[in-house]
Amino acid sequence: MRKPDGKIVLLGDMNVGKTSLLQRYMERRFPDTVSTVGGAFYLKQWRSYNISIWDTAGREQFHGLGSMYCRGAAAVILTYDVNNAQSLLELEDRFLGLTDTASADCLFAIVGNKVDLSEEGPGEGGQEGGQGPGLAGGGGCAAPRLPKQVQLEDAVAFYKKILKYKMLDEKEVPAAEQMCFETSAKTGHNVDLLFETLFDMVVPVILQQRAQGPPQTVDITSSRPPARTRSGCCA
Amino acid sequence: MMSTKAFALVPAVEREQLMGDRERVSLECVECCGRNLYVGTSDCFVYHFLLEEETAPGGSATFTATKQLHRHLGFKKPVNELRAASALHRLLVLCDGSITLVHMLSLEPVPSGARIKGATAFALNENPVSGDPFCVEVCIISVKRRTIQVFLVYEDRVQIVREVSTPEQPLAVAVDGHFLCLALTTQYIILNYSTGVAQDLFPFCSEEKRPIVKRIGRQEFLLAGPGGLGMFATVAGISQRAPVHWSENVVGAAVCFPYVIALDSEFITVHSMLDQQQKQTLPFKEGHILQDFEGRLIVATSKGVYVLVPLPLEKQIQDLLASRRVEEALVLAKGARRNIPKEKFQVMYRRILQQAGFIQFAQLQFLEAKELFRSGQLDVRELISLYPFLLPTSSSFTRSHPPLHEFADLNQLTQGDQEKVAKCKRFLMSYLNEVRSTEVANGYKEDIDTALLKLYTEADHDSLLDLLVTENFCLLTDSAAWLEKHKKYFALGLLYHYNHQDAAAVQLWVSIVNGDIHDSTRSDLYEYIVDFLTYSLDPDLVWQYADWVLQKNPEVGVQVFTKRPVDDQQSRFNPDDIINCLKKYPQALVKYLEHLVVDRRLQKEGYHTHLAVLYLDEVLQQRPSASGKDAEVTETQAKLRRLLQQSDLYQVHFLLDRIRGAGLPMESAILLGKLEQHEEALRILVHELADFPAAEGYCLWRSEGRAPPYRRRLFQLLLAIYLSPGPSAPELAVAAVDLLNRRATEFDAAQVLQLLPGTWSVQLLCPFLMGAVRDSVHARRTTQVAMGLAKSENLIYKYDKMKLKGSSVRLSDKKLCQMCRNPFCEPVFVRYPNGGLVHTHCAASRHTNPSSPSPGART
Repeated sequence: MRKPDGKIVLLGDMNVGKTSLLQRYMERRFPDTVSTVGGAFYLKQWRSYNISIWDTAGREQFHGLGSMYCRGAAAVILTYDVNNAQSLLELEDRFLGLTDTASADCLFAIVGNKVDLSEEGPGEGGQEGGQGPGLAGGGGCAAPRLPKQVQLEDAVAFYKKILKYKMLDEKEVPAAEQMCFETSAKTGHNVDLLFETLFDMVVPVILQQRAQGPPQTVDITSSRPPARTRSGCCA
Repeated sequence: MMSTKAFALVPAVEREQLMGDRERVSLECVECCGRNLYVGTSDCFVYHFLLEEETAPGGSATFTATKQLHRHLGFKKPVNELRAASALHRLLVLCDGSITLVHMLSLEPVPSGARIKGATAFALNENPVSGDPFCVEVCIISVKRRTIQVFLVYEDRVQIVREVSTPEQPLAVAVDGHFLCLALTTQYIILNYSTGVAQDLFPFCSEEKRPIVKRIGRQEFLLAGPGGLGMFATVAGISQRAPVHWSENVVGAAVCFPYVIALDSEFITVHSMLDQQQKQTLPFKEGHILQDFEGRLIVATSKGVYVLVPLPLEKQIQDLLASRRVEEALVLAKGARRNIPKEKFQVMYRRILQQAGFIQFAQLQFLEAKELFRSGQLDVRELISLYPFLLPTSSSFTRSHPPLHEFADLNQLTQGDQEKVAKCKRFLMSYLNEVRSTEVANGYKEDIDTALLKLYTEADHDSLLDLLVTENFCLLTDSAAWLEKHKKYFALGLLYHYNHQDAAAVQLWVSIVNGDIHDSTRSDLYEYIVDFLTYSLDPDLVWQYADWVLQKNPEVGVQVFTKRPVDDQQSRFNPDDIINCLKKYPQALVKYLEHLVVDRRLQKEGYHTHLAVLYLDEVLQQRPSASGKDAEVTETQAKLRRLLQQSDLYQVHFLLDRIRGAGLPMESAILLGKLEQHEEALRILVHELADFPAAEGYCLWRSEGRAPPYRRRLFQLLLAIYLSPGPSAPELAVAAVDLLNRRATEFDAAQVLQLLPGTWSVQLLCPFLMGAVRDSVHARRTTQVAMGLAKSENLIYKYDKMKLKGSSVRLSDKKLCQMCRNPFCEPVFVRYPNGGLVHTHCAASRHTNPSSPSPGART
């Protein structure tokens, strides 16, 4: 097993679809998943870099592990369910704090999953107040199309809140519009875009981290040329 | 979930050996160091056993423990922990809150009585910082609240080196280098005891559940996490492996790569660190100790000790493969890489890849199979040998033993399903085609190519021909028999050709063209044969089939001679022999002579004359009536004319005789032209053919490469013929005017004017006259210029001469010869242009002496 060059962590409340997103991207399928126990990770080769992607457990029971998983992370994907407003609030209340251990220049992506369940347009104008308790508990997948409860603007607002919380200058980090995604692990909508955008952004961070501190160990098998200085934020 | 058998549970120490019939006594702790096994009991005894491993005939291991000694420690408390420090020959015993040092063999306490007091638990540092081989580092959880102490323990003394306080009460400790991994009351932390820096790992309520902290390797720990998780954490406070999922009440854990073993009150569970899956469950009641000692796993109940023996990795992998769990087998094999010597690993891993490949193959998962065969560097013949009759009869191949798969052949594998057989064959085709040019094929190219040929043949695949015309190693006898069986005669011919049996090849192809045997591979086989013979280096073969190809089609067949590379023609084929052979085929002969005369420009009279005669014969044959001028000029006739005009080698008189009276005026004119009988030739052209452009062309043709006066003479002659009185005078006059006006420069105007009838108007000859006048004026002017220039040049010379003559040279006694420095005694002297005077003999001698400087020419 090769040592990963960078780490990306998926965080979010249970049942928002973290495991499904990762499986859709890594295995190109959408199987039934069971509630994740503890955590799992995949290694993804992106260009010449190995990036580990950690899938965490959303259940309260495993909440304490989040800080450790996030330690040194180059990027965190905060995931919510667009049909469950509470899941976005949970990100702020419970999960944002876990990212304190991530690396200082950690990137944040906000991802609203399950857009396939609330296609706006033809299905709109149906039942109002379709917010049932079943949704929050997850497993409401069989429900007919419902109006989306979380709009992309809400995610953008949350992203800006994160920047405030982290005391980051908006001008020095990727724009909110770039970092907020609406996806469907079921249809694959935006899933590749999400991960690959992040990979492309993470690579300069990896390079920068390498340039900053001498590596802890001497890797005699590596013949990579010395890392270049940061070439500005990728667009 | 299917299970792997990774470990076997083997009893080591029975309860009778320990406590006999003392019911209430229980086993509290275990230590194993090499063959020494120590057991501490609740009644304060330490037992020492020698553990012997034996392998039973069936391959399974058994253990016998022979008791060496047991000693009471003199307390009324149980023995809590035992640790051996083999370098010091000491056993560290924790009992009643203090750690005593006893001798490893005698179990006697060290005479100095050195001990560590006030410890509730301790851990040895297996990655020590001090580097001193005669001491061990020990970390203890002190009885003092929230305190960890670090000691150096020598043979007979102990020394405290550090005391650190922790934010909460520590309950379990493991150590690696400077890093302590601690289970505190509410969380796990990593604490660097050298810097004091602490890093939180994750929360864990140690009061509810017993924490587990286990060093599993360099800088990595295994911890019991919430929800029955086995969590991994490094000293940097991060997790590099995904957690494994245990039951909630795990009491002990250990790692034996690539497995994590956990113990609860009912079972021993085995998880793989490679895929986090649970691999094995062994029922084990009331276990309370699970520890690994330098790779040996020991579990114990309160009454007995057992060894958990790992099954050989290869056996585990083979079990997985046998149950078609390819993915898991490969993961396990890959994970084992660092535990097995490289050479051995590679051999083993290759074999596993190959086996896995065959499993995928049998399930028609060809893409996966191919990748596995490729990475496993499979001897391709293993695969080929599955297909009946594909390996050459001469192949010495035998399948590897033990076999890589369980199949006798393809029919058994597919159970006779023809569709599957076809799929397998297609796969083999593409696979062989891919590997045949790679290094995988080295050593058995014959086997591969022959098999490929057989497959292509059977499938009537286009690539068969490609295979045979490019470099290949198809075995002749095997392949020939196969091709014949499938009536691939054309391909068979290619095979013969590749094996330098051109005669056999051509014979076969000729039989196909003749219809003796049937093979419709090529509809243009005849042309193919011609082409083949053309480039054949075997003259005998060409001669053998020359008649056959010429009979079939003389014009195409003659290509075997004409298209042959020139150097080859010159060295091996005598044109006269060929001409002789072609006598029966006039069309072919013409083509061949054309080739000699036109293409190769052979300057031999015979060929030229022969060709001209053949053309002539054909022309005469085509117009037996010799009817007339209006007949179209045939292609042959055009060729004849071209030949007659361009060649200077044929026998003019001979042809002229043949042509006479044959009604071929143009040809006659050409021949006459060759004889320089221009007037006669032009008369034919003008009077007989009335072909004025031809007449004009004649003049140009015949004057080619000659001086302008010769051309003028010809044109003058033509003009004279035009103007000579005769029956068709008006047309000729027009032709004459036309000629003069268009070719004004070709005439000497003065002579022309004398010939012209006085009645012609100036208007009529305007272009001619204008041209002529212009020419004449131009000539006059240029001549005048030239004359002027010549005059002035003359003047310059004159001036020079006058200048030289104008001054006199005075000789006196004072003037000396520049060469010999003697005075002149005669009036004769030589003067150089620079004015220097020398004796005549001096000048002469200096010209014979090239080394002296030359002052210039004499005057």
